[in-house]
Amino acid sequence: MKKTAEVIIIGGGVNGCAAAYYLAKRGVKDVIVLEASESIGHGGSSRNGGGVRQSGRDPRELPYAMYAVQNMWPTLSEELGVDVEYKQAGNLRLGKTQAHMEKLARLAENARKAGVDVRMIDGKEVKEICPYLSDDIIGASWCPTDGHANPMLTTLAYFKRAVELGVSFVKKAPVKAIKKVKGRARKVITVDGTVFEGETIILAAGYESREIARTVGIDIPMTRYFEEALVTEMQPPMFEQMLGTADADFYGHQTVHGSFVFGSESGLEEAADMEPADLRTSALTMSAGCRAIIGYIPALKDAKIVRSWGGWLDMCIDEVPVISPVEEVPGLILACAFTGHGFGTAPSVGLMLSQMVVGEETVVDIHSLRYDRFKADR
Amino acid sequence: MKRYDLIVIGAGPAGLSAAIEAAKCGMKPVVFDENARPGGQLFKQIHKFFGSKEHKAKIRGFKIGEDLLKEAEEYGVEVVLNATVIGLYPEKEITVRIGDIVKHFKGDYILIATGASENMVTFKGWTKPGVIGAGAAQTMMNLHHVMPGERVLMLGTGNVGLVVSYQLLQAGCEVAALVDAAPRIGGYGVHAAKVARCGVPFYLSHTIVEAEGEEAVSGVTIAQVDEKFQFIPGTEKHFDVDTICVAVGLSPMSQLLKQAGCQMADLPGGYVPVCDEFGKTSIDGIYAAGDVSGIEEASSAMIEGRISGVVIAADAGYLSEDEKQQKCDELEKALGGLRQGMFAPKNRGKKLETTEEGIRLSESLLTKGYIADDEISRYPGFVKKAGVHPVMECTQNIPCNPCQDACPKGCISIGENITSLPVVVADKECIGCGMCVASCSGQAIFLVDETYEEGYASITMPYEFLPLPEKGDVGTALDRSGKEICQAQVVDVRSTKAFDHTNLLTIKVPKDMADKARFYRR
Amino acid sequence: MISVDDRLKEIGEFIPQPDDDMLVCRCEEVSKGEIRKAVHAGMFTIEEIRRFLRCGMGLCQGQTCSRLVKSIVARELKVSPAELEPAVSRAPMRPMEMEVLGRDGGDR
Repeated sequence: MKKTAEVIIIGGGVNGCAAAYYLAKRGVKDVIVLEASESIGHGGSSRNGGGVRQSGRDPRELPYAMYAVQNMWPTLSEELGVDVEYKQAGNLRLGKTQAHMEKLARLAENARKAGVDVRMIDGKEVKEICPYLSDDIIGASWCPTDGHANPMLTTLAYFKRAVELGVSFVKKAPVKAIKKVKGRARKVITVDGTVFEGETIILAAGYESREIARTVGIDIPMTRYFEEALVTEMQPPMFEQMLGTADADFYGHQTVHGSFVFGSESGLEEAADMEPADLRTSALTMSAGCRAIIGYIPALKDAKIVRSWGGWLDMCIDEVPVISPVEEVPGLILACAFTGHGFGTAPSVGLMLSQMVVGEETVVDIHSLRYDRFKADR
Repeated sequence: MKRYDLIVIGAGPAGLSAAIEAAKCGMKPVVFDENARPGGQLFKQIHKFFGSKEHKAKIRGFKIGEDLLKEAEEYGVEVVLNATVIGLYPEKEITVRIGDIVKHFKGDYILIATGASENMVTFKGWTKPGVIGAGAAQTMMNLHHVMPGERVLMLGTGNVGLVVSYQLLQAGCEVAALVDAAPRIGGYGVHAAKVARCGVPFYLSHTIVEAEGEEAVSGVTIAQVDEKFQFIPGTEKHFDVDTICVAVGLSPMSQLLKQAGCQMADLPGGYVPVCDEFGKTSIDGIYAAGDVSGIEEASSAMIEGRISGVVIAADAGYLSEDEKQQKCDELEKALGGLRQGMFAPKNRGKKLETTEEGIRLSESLLTKGYIADDEISRYPGFVKKAGVHPVMECTQNIPCNPCQDACPKGCISIGENITSLPVVVADKECIGCGMCVASCSGQAIFLVDETYEEGYASITMPYEFLPLPEKGDVGTALDRSGKEICQAQVVDVRSTKAFDHTNLLTIKVPKDMADKARFYRR
Repeated sequence: MISVDDRLKEIGEFIPQPDDDMLVCRCEEVSKGEIRKAVHAGMFTIEEIRRFLRCGMGLCQGQTCSRLVKSIVARELKVSPAELEPAVSRAPMRPMEMEVLGRDGGDR
C-alpha cells in the first residue's frame, strides 16, 4: 500500500474527494485520501438534502457558492462522467404568517446586497411556480438560480473519477494525529499506528477534524448537531424546485428518481448526547417531519416514506466553514466546520483546495474563512 | 407513554409462546403483529408436525396455532393485530402503526420474534409474473384457497419445497418437477417420498436456466450443473409450466434488531442478532426468539419462545432462580431433542453416509426422492411376515416418535433415543387398526398383508387427497417412484376423528406387488 | 485498512458476462452488470453500491435483492458474502404514508 504522496487528504467526503479530483485534474496525481469508515461519503456527504443554494447563505460563503453554481455545477455530470442529477429550478422559501414574510424579506435583502437574485413573491406567484403547495402559504422568497443535486452520486462520482485519474484511496483508515517534521506538517498517523507522509495535508474530516487539528495545536470552535432526513417512494414528476420554510421546519425536493427527499427536525436536537458513531434516528423526528411537510405540500400526504436516516453536522461557532492554509503549521490546509452547508459548494471548495496546494490564488477571495478569525465577542 | 413490562413483536409460534410463558408467571405482555391474523406461518401449515408429544407431534400446524391462541387468551396475553412496528429506539421505545395512527410504547423488556422472509434466486426471466415464493404459494392455497397455477415447477428440495409441492398436489395442481442445484435432497426423505410416489420427478444437481414466456411464465428450461454450479451444455430439459415456485431458503427478518443497535452476526443461517442461549441480545432487555435468531422449525421456535419468556419473567422478578432453572431445564431438554438427528443444526452441510444405527442411507432417496426396491429391506421398519403388519419406511434419523405411542398393541418401538429408526417388535400382534399409519407425520407407515386373499396382498396407505376413492373402485397402483405397476382395487376406506384427516386407503394388489405398491391413482 | 488501488488490482479488470443484463433489484431496475461495474470502479461496500446504484432502496426496502446484491459484490471482490456488512436497517420498517406517520399523537 502506498504511504507517501505529495498530498494527503484526511476525509473521503465530498470535499475531500472533490479536492482529490481537482488536484489530479491539474496533474497532481500523487495523492492519498484517507477515509475513516469503510465507505466513501459515509458522513454528512451522503446524508444531506442535496441543496445547491446561494440564497440563505452568509455573505462570506456567497462568492464561492455562486462560483460553483455559475461555473461548475452545470457541467459537472459531463465532466465526471456520472449523472449527478443537478437541477437548477429555483428555491422557494415559504412563509405562512406575516412574521415569516418579514424574516424572509430580511434574508432576501441580504442576498440581494451580495448580488444574488432573490426576490419576494406573493401566494399567487408561489402557486404559479409550484401548484402543489398549500393555500395557507402567503408568500415566499424566490431564488431562481438555486437548485439541487444527488449528494450520494456527486460524492461517489468525484471518488470514481479521482480513482480513474490515479488518486489512491484508503478506507478504514481513521486518523489519530498529524505530526510535524522539521516544522512542517508531514506525517499523518492512523489509529492503528500506520504513518502516511505528504508534503501537504488537507484536513477535511468533518467534526472529527477538530480532534485531529488539535494534535498540531489548532482548535476550531465547532460543535456537532444531529439532523435527520427521510425519503418517499417514487412519485410521478411533480416539481423541480427546492423548498424550504421561514421556520426551517423542513427542506427538500423531488429527486430525478421521483422520490422526495426532505430534511426535518423534532426540535429536540440540541439535547442529543449520542456518540458521534451513533447514527440512529429518534422516535420522534420522522413524524414531526411528516407533519411539517404535509402542512406545506398536502399533495404528498399519501406518499409513503421508505427510509429515514440521520447524520452529524459540524457546526462552526460563527456558522461558516474554515477553509484556509495554516501558516503556523506549514503544509496544513483546513476544510471543515461546514455547518450543514458544505454539499452545494463542494465543487468550488475542492477546486480552491487544489489551488491552495499548488500555491495559486483561489478563484474567489475566501480570506474571511481563515482559521484564525475567531475572537472574543465581548 | 404507555409502558408494558413485556412487549413481544410478532405473534407467530415464538412470540406467542414467549408471551404465554411470561403471562403464566404473572407478567402482562402485549404482542404486536402486522398481520390481520395471529399465528405467523402456523396457519399455512396443514401438515402434521414431527417430534414427540411435548413438541405437539402429529398435530397439524394450524391446529397448533389454534391451541396457542387459546392458551394466549387463557393467560390474558394481549394480542394487537394489524399493528405494524415502525421502529425500535433507545430506552426500548417502539413506534407502532395501529389503524391510521402511530403510537409510542415502552417495554421493560422487548422480545423480537419477527420470523423470516423467503430468499430469491436470479435466473433469466425470474422477474416474470408466475415466478413466486413457495411460501406465497402456500398462502394462496391454504389461507385464501386459490390455486397458484395449473402446472408448477418447484425449485428447492428443502422441507419447504417438499411440503409445498405435496400441498400443491393436494390442491389439484400438477407438479412438473422438483429441481435443486445441490446434489442431494435437502429436506426429510419422508417428505420427498410422499411427493415422489405421486409421480413427480426430482432433478438434483440441476437448476433453472430460463423462465420462458411473453407476459408471464409459460415454460421453464432447467439444466444440470457441475460441482461449481456451472451449467453443463446439452443437459437442458424443458417443461411447460405456468408457475415456478422458489423455495431456496429463508432469511431472518432481523432488521428491527439491527436498527436498535444490537450486535449482529452473519452466519450461514442468516444475518442474526448475537444472542445467548436464552435469546438475550447485546442490548439489555432486548431478546430475540424463533426464526429471527436463526432459521429452524416452528416446533423449535415455540420452545425458544418459551425459554425467553421464562428467562424474562425471572429477570423481572416474577420467578425465583430455582423455578426458572427447573422450567429452563425441561424446555432445553425438549429443544435438545428436536435438535438431534441427521438434520440437526450441527449436521448442516455435512454429507452423512449412514444412519445412527450404521445402516447405509438410501442414495436413491437422497437423489430421486424414493427408496429403491433393492434398498428398502436394509431398514428395521421393513419386515415381511404373515398376516397384517406395519411396514415403516422410515430411513433417516429424525426426532419423531408418535408411531411408538400410536400402536395400542405395542408393535412399534423407537426407544429412548427419539431419533432412532422405528422397529417392529417381533412378539406383538398387529390388529390392523391403522393408528400408526395415521400417526406418522411423514406418511411413511403402511400396513401390508400378503395373505389378504389367494394371490393378492392388501396395502393400507395414508391418503390425503380429495375426493376420496370409494370401496370397490378400481384404479392403478404406483410404486415408490410413482410408476404405474399394476391394477389395484380399493377394498377399504377409513376416516375417523382419531386419524385427523389422514384417510386410510386399503388396496388389493397382486401378491408380488406387496413390497412395491405404495400409492393409488384413480 | 483497505487500499482501493491495491484491491482493484487484485480483483482484476471488469470482464463482461452473458447475464450482465439480468435485473437483480427489480424495484429500482438495477442489473447484475451495473453492480459488477460499480465494484470495479472502487465501490466495495454495500453502502457505496446502494448509494451509487439505488439497488435495495426501493419500495421493498431490499427485502428481495439484498442477499443477491451481496453475493454478486462478494464474488466480484473474491470474498465470502459474510464478510460484507449488510445495509443499515432504517425506520420505517414498512413503507408508510406520511399522513399516518404524521399522526403520532397516540400514547404520548
